[in-house]
Order: sequence, then C-alpha cells, then structure tokens
Amino acid sequence: MKKDIKKVIMSDIRYLNRLFKDYYRGIRKDLPLVNSFSKREFGFIPWDKQIRMIRHISFSSRENLMTNLFNNGPRHVYSSGALYQQPENQNMDGKGFKGCDLIIDIDADHFYTPCKEDHDLWYCKECGKSGQGTVTICPSCKKSKFKTLTWICEECLDIAKNEIIKLIHDFLIPDFGIDLNDIRIAFSGHRGYHLKIENERIRTLSSDERRELADYIAGENISLEILGFQAKGGTFYRFSEDTIGWAQKIMRKTVEILNKQDKEIKNLLSTNQKFNFSNNYIKSFINSKQDFLNTIKETKRFILPSIEGFGITNWNKFFTGIVHEIGVEIDTPVTIDIHRLIRYPGSLHGKTGFKVQEILPDEIDDFNPLDERIKRLDPIIFESKVQTTQKLEILEEQVPATKIKGEKFGPYSKGEIVEVPHHIAIFLLCKEVAKTI
Amino acid sequence: MSGIFDLVKHYPWLPSLEECYPKKASKGPIDFINEIFSSDNNDKIKERILEFFKAAFNKIEDFSFYMDDETNIDFYIGIKIFLSILNNKLIANRIAELYSKITFKSLNKEINNEFNLYYIYKDLNLDVVYSKEPEIYKKIKVKDQDLNLKTKFRIHYIDYLNLASNLRDNYRKLVNNSLHNGYVFIQPDDLNRLIQEYVRIKFLSQVNIEDLREGLFKNQVFKNLYDTISELWEEKKEDFEYSFDMGFKKDQDVSKFLPPCIQEILAKVKEGQNLVHTERLGIVWFLNALKYPEEEIINLFSSLPDFDRDKTGYQVRYAIKKGYTPYSCKTLKSYNLCMAKKYKDKLCLNGYFSKKYDEQKKISHPLFYVQFTQFVSAMKKK
Repeated sequence: MKKDIKKVIMSDIRYLNRLFKDYYRGIRKDLPLVNSFSKREFGFIPWDKQIRMIRHISFSSRENLMTNLFNNGPRHVYSSGALYQQPENQNMDGKGFKGCDLIIDIDADHFYTPCKEDHDLWYCKECGKSGQGTVTICPSCKKSKFKTLTWICEECLDIAKNEIIKLIHDFLIPDFGIDLNDIRIAFSGHRGYHLKIENERIRTLSSDERRELADYIAGENISLEILGFQAKGGTFYRFSEDTIGWAQKIMRKTVEILNKQDKEIKNLLSTNQKFNFSNNYIKSFINSKQDFLNTIKETKRFILPSIEGFGITNWNKFFTGIVHEIGVEIDTPVTIDIHRLIRYPGSLHGKTGFKVQEILPDEIDDFNPLDERIKRLDPIIFESKVQTTQKLEILEEQVPATKIKGEKFGPYSKGEIVEVPHHIAIFLLCKEVAKTI
Repeated sequence: MSGIFDLVKHYPWLPSLEECYPKKASKGPIDFINEIFSSDNNDKIKERILEFFKAAFNKIEDFSFYMDDETNIDFYIGIKIFLSILNNKLIANRIAELYSKITFKSLNKEINNEFNLYYIYKDLNLDVVYSKEPEIYKKIKVKDQDLNLKTKFRIHYIDYLNLASNLRDNYRKLVNNSLHNGYVFIQPDDLNRLIQEYVRIKFLSQVNIEDLREGLFKNQVFKNLYDTISELWEEKKEDFEYSFDMGFKKDQDVSKFLPPCIQEILAKVKEGQNLVHTERLGIVWFLNALKYPEEEIINLFSSLPDFDRDKTGYQVRYAIKKGYTPYSCKTLKSYNLCMAKKYKDKLCLNGYFSKKYDEQKKISHPLFYVQFTQFVSAMKKK
C-alpha cells in the first residue's frame, strides 16, 4: 500500500515526470508569484524512487523558477513561509531570518471524518488482517503495525473546507481582527487547505507566540475554570455569554445545541468523538434541556441546572466536547514551525496530480476541488479535452471508489484491468495504486 | 497628569529618556560616571546605589530611596553600568528582580491616574487602546456574587504575546483571555505586571563594556563603590550560590540523562533567574518523581530572587504530598517550556526507533527521556 514504491513502475514515473514538465512549460507566466519571492527558500521532491527533499534553493525571478520547473518537473514544489536574507544558505542559522508568515494547515488526514470508514483502508503487517476506516490496534492480533491507504472524497474535503471557513469567520476576523486582504488560501492539491496570513506584524511572532495563537484557534489548553466554570458545594456555575472570547463561544454553541431536536442532540452527544456520552446521561440531559435553556435565557443566573448524573466529571466532559466542536482542527506543528516549507501555489501535488489552487476568501464557499465549475479555479488540470482514456492494471489489494467531476470510478481490486479517463489515470498513478499497461 | 519629563524621571527605562535627557542618555559610561560622581549630588547617588545593592543582596522587596527626581535617572544608568562591570548573572538577576518589582508597585500607584499609564504604554510603543468608559469583558461568580470585570484598557494581541511570553501562567494564556478584534481586554495591574517583566528583561540585557573597566576604575569614587558592593556580595553570595547536586538517585548520576526542558530550568536556577509558577511546579514534580529528597528540592530554590525557606518548604511538601505526575511533553509544550528546539536535542526532536513496534516513536514524557537515555547508556557499557 502506501509508500510501497517498489510497485511503482519506472516508466510510469518517467511518464508522470514528463506530464508535470509539460504542465509547467504550458503555464509559464500563469504561476502565481508569492509575496517577497526572492527572500523565500524553495524545496523540491523529485520523481525518484527514494523520497528526498532538495532544499536551500532560492530564485531571483519567476523566470528562473519556471526554467527549473519545466526542466525538472518535480513531484512536489515548496517554498518557505519565512523570509530570509540568504534563503539559499545551507545552514539555517546563516540564512538571516526576517520573519515568517503565519501558516495554518487544515488537512483531513489529521481529524476524524465519517467518510474515512468507507474510503480509508488498513492492513495489519503482523497478522495480515485488513479493514476499512482507521484503527490504532489490530482487532485481531492487537498489534499496531499497519500499512494504510488513505483516500479523498467530496465529504472529507468539504469538512476541511468548512474548517477554513470557520477559522476565518469565527476566529481570524472577529477575534484577531485580521484583514481579509492579508489572507491567502490554497487548496493543497490533496486532502486539505493552507491558509497564510501575510502581515508585517504577524511575521515577527516567535514559535512560542504562534503556539498561543494555535491554542486559541483550536481551543487547546483552555481552562474552563478561568473562563468561569465552577463547582461549589454541589452547585455548578457556568460561563457568562457576556464574557468576551471563548466563554461566549461556549455559551453560544451550548444554546445552539440545546435548540436542536432531541434526535440530533442524541446523535451529537453519543456518536460524536468529541462527547461520547452513554445513553443514560444523554437521556437525562435531554430531559433537562428546557430547564437548561431557561436558566440561560431568562434568569441570567450562572447556576447550571441539576441534571441527573451530571457531576463535575460530566460537566467537564460536556464543555470540553463543546470546545472541540467550536475549535478549528488545525495542524499545530505547521503553525508553530517558522522554518516550514509549504506547497507552492500553482504547483502540482505528486500524490494526486492536482494543482495547488489559490482561492479568494469570497470564493471558498462554492469551491469544490473534485468538481469545480469555474475553470480558473479547477485544480484538476489533466482532464482530457478529447475524452481520452487509459488502460491501467490495479496493483493494490483494494482501491476505494474515486468520484471526480461527478463520475464515480471503482472500487477496484488487485489485478483488475481498468480503462479510465486521463485525469483519473493520472490520479491513480500518482497514488501508486496502479500501473499503465 | 504628569508631563513626559516627570514620567521619565520616575521611569527612566522609558524610551523617551533619549529625547528628554539626551545628554544623560547618550553619554559614554566613563564620562557619565565622572560627571555624576563629581556633581553636588555625588553623595546622594552613591548612597542610593549602595542601598539598592544592599537591599537586593538582603532579599528586601522594597526600596524607600526610590524617588521620582532627576537623580533617579542617574541612579538607573549608574546601576546598569555597575551591573555591566560586575558581570555576574546572579547579581544581575537579583537587581533586575528588585528593580522590576519596584517598578510594578510604582506603576500600580498610577492606576488612578490612567493618563500617565496610557502615556507610559504608548512610550513603550505598545498598541494599547484606552476607552473613556470602562467596558465589561467578563462576568464570573466570585464568592456567591456575580462579578463584572471592567477595564478601560485593551492591548493588541501581538504586543500582549511579546510581553507575556516569559510568563507562562495558565491565566495569561491567550485562550483564557478576552480577545476581540485583535485586542486583549486587560486590567491595568495585569498590564503593569507585563511591563515589570519588560523592565526585568531590559536590565538583564547588558551591553558589554568590559573594555571600559580600566577607565571607569580611574574614578576613585566609582572604584570604591565597586569594591564595597563586591565585598557585600562576598558576604552574601553563599545565600545565592547553592549548587544543586543532580547526582542523587539510588547512587546514580542522572545529570547527563536530563531532558532539555529540565536542563533549562536548572540552568535558570543556577543563574539565579526567576522561575515562573509552572517551571517551579514542573521541577518539583519531576525531581520528586525521581525520588529526590525533600530538602534537596527546597535548597534548589534558595538561589531564586524571591526565596523564602518557610514558604518554599510548605509549598514543596504540599506538592510532594499531593503526588502529582510531572508534566508530559504535551503540557510542557503548551506552557512553552519545551526546549527541544533550543537545545537541538535529537532524541526529543526525532524520537527513537522502537524495535517492539517497528517504527519511529516520539518521546512523550521527560521521565521516559531519563529512563530511555539511562537504558541506552547502560546498553553501551555492556
């Protein structure tokens, strides 16, 4: 499965490499130019069997970068979030760090989505058992050595997109006062989105200070007690909706949940990974929901209603679940790393063949990377105009179904010979689950 | 409201010192020392400087000689020159701690004079917003009463993070504060506490003037005062220079097995730097988990600027009695106490290869770091 590069045929690698070169030759001046271009460090992963990153490279102009891209057609192209005096210096300390944009990465890989139960696969290296979804311990042999095959679908990309929307409209603008003009968003070309904030003051933030921002956005290391939740002699006190910041968010979300239908509340509190309450507790919670709403709306008192079975543990669990509902699922290590390289906008993602597509904040609501109607925003650039197809042999035991441009292909099994449109073929070849025949 | 000249006299660490008193601010150390020790104020400045060092060495937390006259500017610059020539981190930390505490008290006395505070913040180039009417930003239950927290001050989150980055208490974390439209609502005394930290750090960032030592010593008043301060320190330094023996643990020396987060805290202790609350708890729980004797842990804190044996003893015994588990790597990171990157520690950064799981594993707890490095060392010996 994943990273089993022996299966990848050299001729296919050369083929993909040639396609990537052609793409870069074709776009020339259309490749976006990142801000402070010549101060960025660039990195490339070529089409080798061994994955290796070539970094500490800089370019004085877009022409120089383009020459490199259409001569080499790399598998992945990255540039730094940081600005350096000497981006090409091999020694990080010698680069002359001049600040770093704030990067926020939202990747469906890093959080649970229900669709993973359908399209992600695992295979136990110890006992050979395999299954759908994600597991941490093999249900058969209880070991934890796995090979995995992760896939994409509209559902998980939609969830990732909604996290970006939440990030902008619930945090960056209202809380941090970020100017929309400073925000750059890009579909990563695979399982998520990058958001970059280009602002002189934000560039000065240290790694520790960025962690504080990341914690705020994700709701990590929050203290419910400091925000107002208290237990005193068997009485529990809640947060005030007038407390600016997280307390207000928690109360608003609580009211939103209390106003849902009982069935929805039950689903949320039981099946959601963030709450996981047992049926008895959910039942008592639902029985008290009107009482709860009344105390918030009418009495303006901070006392929480008495709910059967709800002591300090369950109240903590409930509000922690609410915090997770509100917080944005960001990849914190990316945000706090001031020397991180991120995918270059307009470049191709070597695991899908899709373009890293920049999107304006007001375009994101309608953006659909797997079936985008606006040509300018379409990351699937290998769609054949003459509807050519390609024959492939499936190399993996199982390959999940792929729905791109409204058409579903697969699922497939090992040894199967399939004839698929050009862009699906490129996707399957980049995913290393098939070979050309 | 005071004028800017008065404010600078009171708070000579303000950047406006250079504009208001350019002659004093731009003068070279030798010329400055020669001038103040030949002026009519000579005795007054000498006395103030000496009394300040005495107070610091005797761990006194107040200083009655601190005044808002022009001598205060000479006193401030003079202290900085002495610290540079003394070139002793323990002394510098003591002085920085005391001076910054006095500053904090002084700033808090201005709370009813909000314009002064506002000008001080603005002089420090802080993006602080002042509103005429106090704004309610938090409502909480305190002792059966609903309490409305109001403030007229808001600070931009970037300035807030810059100032608060060394103070890692949970209630200073951004996520636990009221943030709206880029500004953190803050009470003036909380903001003053951040300024205290700014002043403390400013004292510790001394300019190296070692090459001026000879020239400065030509001024006999300076030399005599220097000798007096040095003698005072010789008498008192035992109280500060406690060396912590990390060798204890079932007769094994574990000092070389310590993770960077713990090494950093111990390095701060050695230099007499102040430790924030989370660092103090972290080191107590960590050493307790390694079965260090209670007295050894209490002695560790004796070099800290605010050491009080009785109070520390009570707190250490309480923490030990509670038997808390030391912070995990995740918690240390959340408090910005993880030093893996600073120390470029390969084990922390890259993890280790687990034969059992046939994969690279991350270190998730500093105690495991000790255990793992001890194990590797024992295997190498074998």
